[in-house]
Amino acid sequence: MGLGRKIGDYLDLRLGIRDILEQNLTRYLLPRNINAWYTLGAVLFTLFALQFATGILLLVYYNPTADEAFRSIQRIMNEVPYGWLIRTVHAVGANIIILALLMHMLSVLFMGSYKAPRELTWVAGFLLLLLSLGMCLTGYLLPWSQLSFWATTVATSSSGEIPLVGDVVLRFLRGGAMVGQPTLGRFFALHVMGFPLIFGLLVLIHLFCVRRVGISRPPFGPEWHPAEPPVTFHHEEHPDGIPFFPHYVAKDGATIAFFLALLLAVVFFAPGLFFPPASFEPADPFTTPRGIKPEWYFLWAYQTLKIFPNEFLGLAVQGIALILLLLLPFLDRSPERRPARRPLFVSVYFFGIALFIALSVWGHYS
Amino acid sequence: MQRSSRRKFLVSLLGSLGAAAVGIATYPVFKYLAPSRSDERGGRITIPRAQVGVGQAHFFQFQGHPAVVLQRSPGVFIALSAICTHLGCIVKWVSEKGEFLCPCHAGRFSSDGKVLSGPPPRPLPSIPVAISGENLLIG
Amino acid sequence: MTGTGAAQRTYRYLQLIFFLVTLIARVDPAAAQTAETVCIQCHGSQPGRLGAPVREWQTSIHAANGISCHNCHGGDPTDVAMAMSPERGFLGVPNERAIPGFCGRCHVGVQEDYLASAHGRALGKGGPQCVTCHGNHAVLNASPDLINPKDCSRCHDYGRAGEIKSAVLETDRRITELERQLLSLRHIGIATREMEGELFALRNRFHRLFHSVDVEKVRSQTAGFQTELGKISGRIAEVEAKLNRRKLWGGAMVVLLVGCGILSLLIYRSYREEIDRSQHP
Repeated sequence: MGLGRKIGDYLDLRLGIRDILEQNLTRYLLPRNINAWYTLGAVLFTLFALQFATGILLLVYYNPTADEAFRSIQRIMNEVPYGWLIRTVHAVGANIIILALLMHMLSVLFMGSYKAPRELTWVAGFLLLLLSLGMCLTGYLLPWSQLSFWATTVATSSSGEIPLVGDVVLRFLRGGAMVGQPTLGRFFALHVMGFPLIFGLLVLIHLFCVRRVGISRPPFGPEWHPAEPPVTFHHEEHPDGIPFFPHYVAKDGATIAFFLALLLAVVFFAPGLFFPPASFEPADPFTTPRGIKPEWYFLWAYQTLKIFPNEFLGLAVQGIALILLLLLPFLDRSPERRPARRPLFVSVYFFGIALFIALSVWGHYS
Repeated sequence: MQRSSRRKFLVSLLGSLGAAAVGIATYPVFKYLAPSRSDERGGRITIPRAQVGVGQAHFFQFQGHPAVVLQRSPGVFIALSAICTHLGCIVKWVSEKGEFLCPCHAGRFSSDGKVLSGPPPRPLPSIPVAISGENLLIG
Repeated sequence: MTGTGAAQRTYRYLQLIFFLVTLIARVDPAAAQTAETVCIQCHGSQPGRLGAPVREWQTSIHAANGISCHNCHGGDPTDVAMAMSPERGFLGVPNERAIPGFCGRCHVGVQEDYLASAHGRALGKGGPQCVTCHGNHAVLNASPDLINPKDCSRCHDYGRAGEIKSAVLETDRRITELERQLLSLRHIGIATREMEGELFALRNRFHRLFHSVDVEKVRSQTAGFQTELGKISGRIAEVEAKLNRRKLWGGAMVVLLVGCGILSLLIYRSYREEIDRSQHP
């Protein structure tokens, strides 16, 4: 107790640290009826921290050249002590993160938490989702396996369908006419530096928005009523709420532990779940493996492109869907957040989920 | 009062489980970063020069993998991996032709390991050789 | 590894529970096609005798391993006009006596043992050559099923052939089983290339051995092959023991984390009860 207290006193005297901690932990009150879905933010924070840590560790042995990349991953998986663990956690972690991101977004949509005054939180969050998918896409190429090579070839090729500038865009993405060393170079730079830096900045903005505006109250229970649209800045307080620490931290901790348990369960008991056989063959530009499919979270887009007769049309539809989602809080401006009073939105919501699942399953079996 | 002692118990239990989990997680990271000892094991191999006549090949195990050393011309030695780069069969030395032949799919390699014909995608990797008196130091 | 089937089922199941509305991705299946040689472009669309080889070849082990028309028949697969010109090394159809040499350009070992065998010595005098048993364009991965009463008794009675078959069957079964094990290890990222190479070389030596069609020779060498197979299967067993140890630790870690989660929930509930009681006494 003695030493801890002394350090606390020292810091408190100079930085007023106890006040900050109290304001953000014990005196930071959350809505009383806050539910488990609200813990997904903390889960994502932990999972991304794990990705950063394992990513940095992988950089120690990874070699970003077309000649060496595959072999360096093989070495990590087979020769470096516990390399298999670090690498599998990183790769499986990416999939678990996408799952958690989708759940996070869906819960925000369902509870209408994106509505005014939280539009900016939504926009930052949606950009984080897109950036995460970008990190998945760029990370996919780095092992330089058959899967990496052909999935990237396929994924970049349809940008060539954009009218007028398609070819330029395609060559710019690949750094040349074909996927090769130039592609690996730029994807590597984006994956380990470019995207993570922007990502960190966006996380700060997202968290700042969350903290500054205040946690939204779940729109359930008899006492919930839509608030008047704000005319001045207003921090949403919950005077009768539960403290963030220790109450809600315990709940956050529980969900985090369950998610980590899920991650490790996949890593140890189904390590091949997210690795098709082609991910363990070195890239060969002259042999197209059979049945190259994108990751499960891109299958819906893969199938959309196959449905439309014209690829550009498919791309345009996807682009419009993304933009609509990004701008949703500016289009859907009614203050009502109770799902029972938003029948149209809720029907579209479930239709969207069903469509996503149907397209993905179709894409998987087609 | 009873509740708070129960909670104290839960918190200390969680603390010890959490510490155990962190401890277990730290060990792999430490091992991952620890310098590898296999470099120091080295695995240099000594072979008497007399075993490798001019134009002759001598097959041996190098770091657990089949390898071959060859005296191409008097005093000029070359050591190569003996594993065909196509499907992993062991190449044979055809001394009449002065080249390696893989018996599985007729891949042919020159005496310095370059692919002459057949399906092998890459040359045979070479291994450094040095002469030390009457011995060859390989590796 | 019974995990693969379960993993696939889990994968499908996960897809069913994962949901969402939108993301990015650009995927074009048509872009991922290999260039066809001019041989296949022309012959593939021809009916009857001229097109049949392409369709047969497509089912073959050669097609699966990327061995195309020109790899055996020569010629220029990139130039329509000169594709079948002897100047570019076009060989066309070998006559019967030339077939062992034709296939033996790649299958050197088998050719050697075959030529020295009773089969090979009868080449051109009614004896069988490669195509007699293996077929030509629809050539399949060789298996002991090729030795069967129906095919062998086209020329002689099945007796000795049957003896050879029973002599090779067990070794062949073990080779196939080890191949399968190595493949499933490869699919979870274990470096099996070297073991696969050894096994392939062994399989290759074993296959050339029984082309000598000499029962005594096959029997006397089988023990040696079995010993070598035993070494490979010992190494596979080591890998699998290592994987099981990992699972043990992983399982413990999962249990530990689930325990942490449950404890956190209990702690949360105790705080929650306290606050509810203080506000509604």
